[in-house]
Formats: sequence, C-alpha cells, structure tokens
Amino acid sequence: MNVRAPLVWSAAGLLAAALLPWYALEDGLASGDWLSGLWSSKDYASGVAQAIEHGRWWLAPALLVLVACLVVSFAPLAQRRRGALLVATSCIGLVLFGAQAFAIGLRGWSAGWLVSLFGEMDGQQIGIGAGGALVLVTFLALLSIGLALRGAFGGDTFVAGAVTTVAASILLFTAWPILHILVQAFQNADGAFRPQLMIERLAEAKIWSLRCLIGRGGCGVAWNTLFLALCCGAGSTALGLAFALVATRTAFRFKRTLRVLTVLPIITPPFVIGLALILVFGRSGLVNHFLEWTLAIPPTRWIYGFPGVLLAQLFAFTPVAFLVLIGVVEGVSPTFEEASQTLRADRWATFTTVSLPLMLPGLANAFLVGFIESIADFGNPIVLGGDFGVLSTEIYFAVVGAQLDYGRAAALALLLLALALGAFWLQRRLVGRRSYATISGKGDSGLPTPLPDAARRAAQWIALPWAAFTLLLYAFTFAGGLVKVWGRDYTPTLAHYVKAFSIERSAEGLIWSGAAWNSFWTTVKLAAIAAPLTAALGLVTAWLVVRQRFVGRATLEFATMLSFAVPGTVIGVAYVFAFNVPPFEITGTALIIVLCFVFRNMPVGVRAGMAAMSQIDGSLDEASATLRAGAPQTLFYVVMPLLRPAVVGALVYGFVRAVTTVSAVVFLVTAEYDLATTYIILRVINGDYGLAIAYSCALIALMLAAILLIQFLVGDRRLGRRSMLQQRGRT
Amino acid sequence: MSVAFTNVVKRYGSVIAVSGISFTVQAGTLVTLLGPSGCGKTTTLRMIAGLELPSEGRVEIAGRDVSTLPATQRDVSMVFQSYALFPHMSVLENVAYGLRRSGLARKDATRMANAGLAQVGLENYGQRQPSELSGGQQQRVAVARALVLKPSVLLFDEPLSNLDARLRRQMREEIRELQQRLGLTVVYVTHDQQEAMAVSDRIIVMNAGRIEQQGVPRDLYERPATPFLARFMGESNPARGHVRRLDPQRVRVQLGHAQIDIENTTALDGEATVAVRPEAIVVERVPGPTDALTGTVARASYLGTHMEYSIDTEAGALFATCPRVDRPLASGDKVALILAPRGVIVVES
Repeated sequence: MNVRAPLVWSAAGLLAAALLPWYALEDGLASGDWLSGLWSSKDYASGVAQAIEHGRWWLAPALLVLVACLVVSFAPLAQRRRGALLVATSCIGLVLFGAQAFAIGLRGWSAGWLVSLFGEMDGQQIGIGAGGALVLVTFLALLSIGLALRGAFGGDTFVAGAVTTVAASILLFTAWPILHILVQAFQNADGAFRPQLMIERLAEAKIWSLRCLIGRGGCGVAWNTLFLALCCGAGSTALGLAFALVATRTAFRFKRTLRVLTVLPIITPPFVIGLALILVFGRSGLVNHFLEWTLAIPPTRWIYGFPGVLLAQLFAFTPVAFLVLIGVVEGVSPTFEEASQTLRADRWATFTTVSLPLMLPGLANAFLVGFIESIADFGNPIVLGGDFGVLSTEIYFAVVGAQLDYGRAAALALLLLALALGAFWLQRRLVGRRSYATISGKGDSGLPTPLPDAARRAAQWIALPWAAFTLLLYAFTFAGGLVKVWGRDYTPTLAHYVKAFSIERSAEGLIWSGAAWNSFWTTVKLAAIAAPLTAALGLVTAWLVVRQRFVGRATLEFATMLSFAVPGTVIGVAYVFAFNVPPFEITGTALIIVLCFVFRNMPVGVRAGMAAMSQIDGSLDEASATLRAGAPQTLFYVVMPLLRPAVVGALVYGFVRAVTTVSAVVFLVTAEYDLATTYIILRVINGDYGLAIAYSCALIALMLAAILLIQFLVGDRRLGRRSMLQQRGRT
Repeated sequence: MSVAFTNVVKRYGSVIAVSGISFTVQAGTLVTLLGPSGCGKTTTLRMIAGLELPSEGRVEIAGRDVSTLPATQRDVSMVFQSYALFPHMSVLENVAYGLRRSGLARKDATRMANAGLAQVGLENYGQRQPSELSGGQQQRVAVARALVLKPSVLLFDEPLSNLDARLRRQMREEIRELQQRLGLTVVYVTHDQQEAMAVSDRIIVMNAGRIEQQGVPRDLYERPATPFLARFMGESNPARGHVRRLDPQRVRVQLGHAQIDIENTTALDGEATVAVRPEAIVVERVPGPTDALTGTVARASYLGTHMEYSIDTEAGALFATCPRVDRPLASGDKVALILAPRGVIVVES
C-alpha cells in the first residue's frame, strides 16, 4: 500500500495528461468525438499534446513535475524520505498548475500587471476539462499520501486523503467563490480595481434610506431586510416556543398531529406559503371577496409588502423553530424542576426562574435560525414583496434584471453576508458554549413539571389557532390547483395538472408534452445526483472532525459551521462570479448546479453526523482498530451502519433541499437546465397561479415519495433493545 | 511475547499524561497497571495497543520496535471497559469481525469464531444480539473476540468495572484461569487493589504519570516503598513514630508506649512515618500487656463479618478491624492495642 499508492496515482495523472483532453469540451466527454483529435486538434488535444504541438508551453512545467513524482514513487527510499519528497514535488506541482491556470486566461495574460511585466502574449486558454482536472486531483492525492507517509494523520493514507478532499473542496467551492464577491465589489465593469466604487455602491440611498420613518416612501433594502429578519426571528421563536410547550408539557391530546407540522416546511418549497397567502388575502383572494360581497369594502393590497412577507415567513419558519425548541424543552432535565419545587418554588416560579433560563441558549439558537432563514429567503419576498424590496431580491434584479450590474450585486451580497455572519458571530458571542446540555445519561427519572396554568393557556391559545391556520393554508394551496381561475371561476378542473404533466401517446412512443416535465426531470436528476454526494461528504467530514485528531481540525469544523450561515443568494451570486471564467469555467452546466446543491446542504449533513456520532462510544472505533480493521473498514463496517438514521437524514435533506431551494440556483439555471422551483417562480411572476400551485403540489408529493424510498433503501439500524445504554457505558 | 517500555513519555499539548516510564512484561505472565484515576495507566495501556503513539521513548512488542505503528498493524487485542461490542452485529459476527478484517474467508472465520465462543463457554449464543446477553456474558464475548486473533499480547482496560461484586470475583477468576491455561501475555488495567492482587503475577503501581513501585503482589502489600503505596495498597493508618536500628535486619519502632520489632534493612534512626494495617491491630480491653498502645474507642461499627473501630491513641487516631464480633466494644471504652509486626511498615524515615 505504502509503495503502490503513489505509483498508481502518478501513473494515473500522467495517463490523464496524455490521453484526455486538457480543456473543457463544448459538447462534453460523452460524445467521443475528441478521440480522433487528441493530438492534432487545438480544442481536443491532451495536456502533453497542447504543450508540445499547440504552443501551450506553460503546461509543460506542471507535467514535468508529474514525471518527477513518478520517479520519487519508484526510487528505493525510506518511508519518511519518500513522503517528504512527495510533499515537496506535489506542492511545486500545485503551485505551477495554479500559476499557469490563473495567469493565462481567455485573452492571454489575465491581469494588467502581468502584461506590463512580460509584455503581450498571444496564447490563451479556456477552462480546464477532464485531463486538467484529473492532474489537479493527482497532485492533491500525492500530497496527502506524502503527508501520511511522513506520519501526519496517524500515518493513515485514507484519513489524509479524506482531509485533503474535504479541505480542498470547501476551499474551491465555498471560500473561493465568496472571495470572488469581495473582489467583484471593488471592481468596475472592466475589472479594474476601484475601492471608491465599492463605497459608492454601498452608500446608495436605495440601501440605507430611512424615509419610511417619516412616512414618505419606502426605506432602504438593508433596513427592510434587517427589520424583517428581526421580526421573523422573534416571532417564529415565540410561536415555536408556544408549540414546543404545548407538545411536550401539556396534556394536549393531539401532540403527534402537532409534530406533523414540523415535516411540512422540510418538504415545501419556501414560496408555497406566500402563494397560499395570496389565495386567501390577495386582491382576488377569499377574504377580499367576502368583504366586498358582504360589506362592499373594495379589495385592498395590504398583503403585498412587509406584512405579507413577514406573515409568509412566520408561517414558513415557525415549524423550524418548533423543531429546534422541542429538543431544547425536552432537554431541560426534570430533576432541576423537581429540585426547584422541593425548594419551595411554586410552578410559576419554577418555570420563570429555572426552566426558562435553562432554555435561553436554545431560544437564542431558534432566533438565529429564524433570522438567517429570513434574510436568506428569496421566494416569499419575490412573490409577495411588491415595492418592499429586500437584499436578496435586490441582488437578483441587479444580476438578472435590466441593470446587469455585477459590481452592485457583489456589494449587496457582501452586505447580506455581513448581516448573516454578524448574527452568527453575535449568537456565538452571547450564547457561546454556554449550552446547558442537561441530558446527562445519569438516570433522569423525574417527571417534567406541568406548565403553570397561565403559561399553558397562553401557549395553547397561540399555538393551536396558528396550527389550524397553517393547515388551512396548505388545504387552500391544494384546492387552488383544482379550480379554473382562483377568485373568478371556481369550477373544479384538472386542467392545470394536465397542462403541466400531460403525456401523449404517439407513433414514436410516449411524448412528455406537459409544460413542467422538462424542469421536473432535470430537478429530479440533479437532486438525485447531489443527495448521495452531499450525504457522503457531510458524514465523512463529521467523522473526521469528531473522531480523528489532526492539525487544523478546529479550523475545518469552523469552516463548515460558517458556510452554514452563508445565505443562498450569496452563494448563487458567488458561483456566477467565480465559475464563469477559466480555469474553472462551469457556468451554464448541470455540474455547477449539482456543486451548488452539495455545498449549500453539506453543513447540515456535517451537523447531523456530528450529533449522531457523539452518541456512539468512541471505544467502538478503537475496538475495530485493535481488531485489524483500517480506517476505511471501520468507517464502512462499524460507523456507517450505526449512523443509519443520520445517513437517512442527510440523504433526505440533501434531496429535499435540492428540490426546494430557490435563492441559490435562481442565478445558475439556464434554458437547458431549468429547475422546478425557478420555473414555478417565473409562473407566479407572470400571474399563472393555477399551474404554479399544481406544480408545487406535485413537488410535495414527489418529496414524500422520495423520503419513503430513501427510508426503505437504507433501512433501519439493527440494534438490540438495551443498546443505547451500552453505548454510553464508558462514560 | 514480551512487552517493553523504555523512557516512554506521552504529552497532550502541555499536559503530561505519562512522564518517562520503563518496564517489561515477561511473556506468559499477567501484569497489572494499578493506580488511581488519572494516573496514566489507561494511557499506558493504549500506547501498548497503538491507540495512542508515544511522544517520546520506545515501545517494543516481542522484541520489535512498534513505537510508530498504528493499532491496526500491531499484534495486540484489547478488551474494553465498555466491552465495545458492535451493537449492530450478532455475537458471532462480533467475534468473527477481527478474523474477517485480517482477510480470512467467511467459512474459516465462522469456524474459528465458534471455537472462540466455546472457549469462553458461550457455544450456543452466536446468533444472539449483544444486548440480549447479561453483563458477564458480554464480557466473555469481548474476551473471545480478542482471543480468536491469537494476539501476542492481550490487553484488558478495567474489564470488570461494569459488573456487580459477585460477578466480578467470578470473572476475574475466569480471566486468570484462561490466561494460565493458554499461557497468554496479558496487561491488565484496574484501580481496584484487591482485583489486582487476585489476578496478577506482577503489579506496576502508577501515580501521577510515573511508576511508583513494581513487584509481585505480596511484596507490594507487605513492603510498600512510599506513603502513597501504603495508602493505596490496602488500607493503612499513617502514624508518626520513632525508629531505632537493632541489627542490620531489624529495627525497633516506638509508637507511643508500644514498641514493635520489625524486619527492615533500610530505615534510618529517628522520626519516621509509619503505616499500620488495620487488620494487624489487636484490640483488647484494658488492662492489656504492658507494652501495648492505649486509647479510647471513638466510634464502633458492626459489619457482620467483623467490627470496625476508630480509636484515639497517643500516636494519633487509628482505624482497626477486629474479627471478634461476639463481644463488641462501645465508644468511650478504654482499650489496649497490640500491633502485629507484619502489619507495621516504616514508609519514610
């Protein structure tokens, strides 16, 4: 293994350099047309051919280093020495590769100072293709093998490779794009560095105006976003707490039904609630109709704007807060409450002086989730916002609309990012590690104290009508897809479903003639590709962070945490900026959408994996190691089977979030790769509610089916009854 | 196969868990690492297993330097405190796991695993889940799983701490019997001094990352080298006394009025810390013999098999156990104490 691995990788890298097209192909690898032009064609040539035959001399140094790696792998050397040499050569290779890739772009030298330094150059290159990418991967692989040979990562090649893979991909697909926003915000349209431009962009009245306070016109989008997010965070936390208290601390009979609510936001595209609100409160919605019919009050448009967006977000994100707070409320050990009661505190005093303070860190977490969800939300503001602009919609119009001002988009994205990270930082600062994790494992045998009557009544009066109304909204959504034109003609019809999903039988077989099929299949296909990648990357990262000890472990953990807080709109814009220029030129492909899915959703996989793994006693891993199983075998035979619930969770989440996401991919879709959510949003903007609603319902059905299928495929964890006790036995 | 540590140090950042220890475990013997929690004994065991690599020094197994070898590549198996039975595998799959990972075919692995289960008396339990077994049975599965790999060294990390007192005695006898029958080299970690004395050929007592003393159990109990050891190996009363050498083999220890002659070759004349074993104190009603230590009973407790007394004496408060339960003393009684020479130890001159 120690001798073979570097040999195999060096050889693979050289083969890729010689036998695969170096640059990206217009029509992809699958067609096979490139085979004939591997040497002769300027477009199809391999790396070696490009360097020798087509005058791209700058590729030669990196390829020569690859040969050097092969020599190092062959040479009879001591293990540590071979490792050191491999680290050195692969690092040189990476530097040379990066230098040529970034220095020479579509029009020769990619930066002005390079031109003034070396003079004009007539060579040029496009983004790397299969050959280039594989050589890059080879260098990374050799680097990790070299590090492992030198004794890093416990001398384990697998762990070294995993760490390199995770670190490199987070750098390339999260950090690098975000860095691009920063750069873009300081550049003018020609790519020149103009710091004062950034200040101008950020100082606009449209962003910071406070006119709404004195009653003249709207406020700036920054204030709008912030105010909306604060309201949404506070509101969803309060509502979520009411739900959690009703579900765990009262004798309410339909607790289980209440928990169904928590599943809804997971399988619902975020703007569906907005749509439902339009059906009820919109200009031609039920309420306006009723008022006009009975009291002759003319229809109003109050729902379009701040109240509507806030209402939609509260409906959409309260279940998320509920989900967070159930765990928090259940986590408060009854022992503390019982102790408090034996110390002469009545139920109300116990609740206010013991239970609530213990929940405080959890409440802060729920608030943060609501805050970040709100500023990242794109669907509801675009559907319901009207004149009420927020940062995410403003960025969208800057990139997609008539303005086409990338610099402004970047500056706004930076502002949005700063808001999100600021909230994240504040939360960590205030709550920090002060989590009162009160599930101790030391026989918590007490009974939860019932809520004081006043608190119970308040919680029930808030939670239950709200829950009923949420369900009602979903019911209206479902009904909305089954009538001709909501508000005008309530004749039952299946026309919207037919229009979206009709299949015709013809002489050539089935024709998927429905308007939605194209985006539907693209969505399913890309989400199905992304989900396993998301889960695998997330869980492997979790395993590395929890179970392995290596330099930079804390940094890796922090990086994944941080990418959790980056709003989708920011990621989407960042991808557009970073990946429409060489060397990584993938804008407009399916690949960029899949990558966006994976790196948007991976942090949740990491969190889920870390939580699940910390419940599994580390001695199981160690037992496996002393029983002759290497790291990959331990991961495969011991860790993964025990993590099945987390695997299911990560797969489901990876798939469902890929299907429902709007904010990030709205910048990345093309006519060829259109997605369900962006298609629906466009239908809504065009006023075609019937089709949009029918399609949304179909998506919800699809996701329910997907969840059941994944659960069925992965199966249950086969554990005996008392197993959880034994897993904690060591502590 | 033997295990040898030479000047091994283990650091976690600035914390030193093990500071420069050296010892040898002879092939075919059972050696116990004994010490209070946090003394570095488990870290030492994990360095033998390869779960931790030493920061400095040399670890040898069977004469081979394995200092940088990870656990997977060492010829060592371990029985964990929590047993670490894989909860998603049957008992048989658990025992066959190491064999399968070593590259054996399923058929051979199953056959050997069954033989391993037979060795610990669990022939018919292969198809059960670990959670369906009692604590003692789980313990045996963990032993079988480690044994089937025929390791050079077998390691036990506090294997009995999750069992109740009765089962603990039975399991430690089984482990000792198995070790002697198969001639295994075993390193055993525990914080229980009685358990250590019952199973070990040799005991290495550790404290604060260092080796305090090593030797056969009897030596450690009867000739503890430090006050820590006298306290840790069984119970003992610390007392201040006066030592005077009689001849090269013997010293006379003066505790209050009492004089005891004991075997000792090292103690110097003068004030000394003396440890008195509670079972070596014979408690009599006054008047006792003339050279007895006199005192007053402060507390008396009846424990079924024996009495326990706290007695205030001129040499300090002493704690004594007394097998006579038929005529117990009450607190306030005046007593004379006779100290048996084997239970009086000079620990510090």
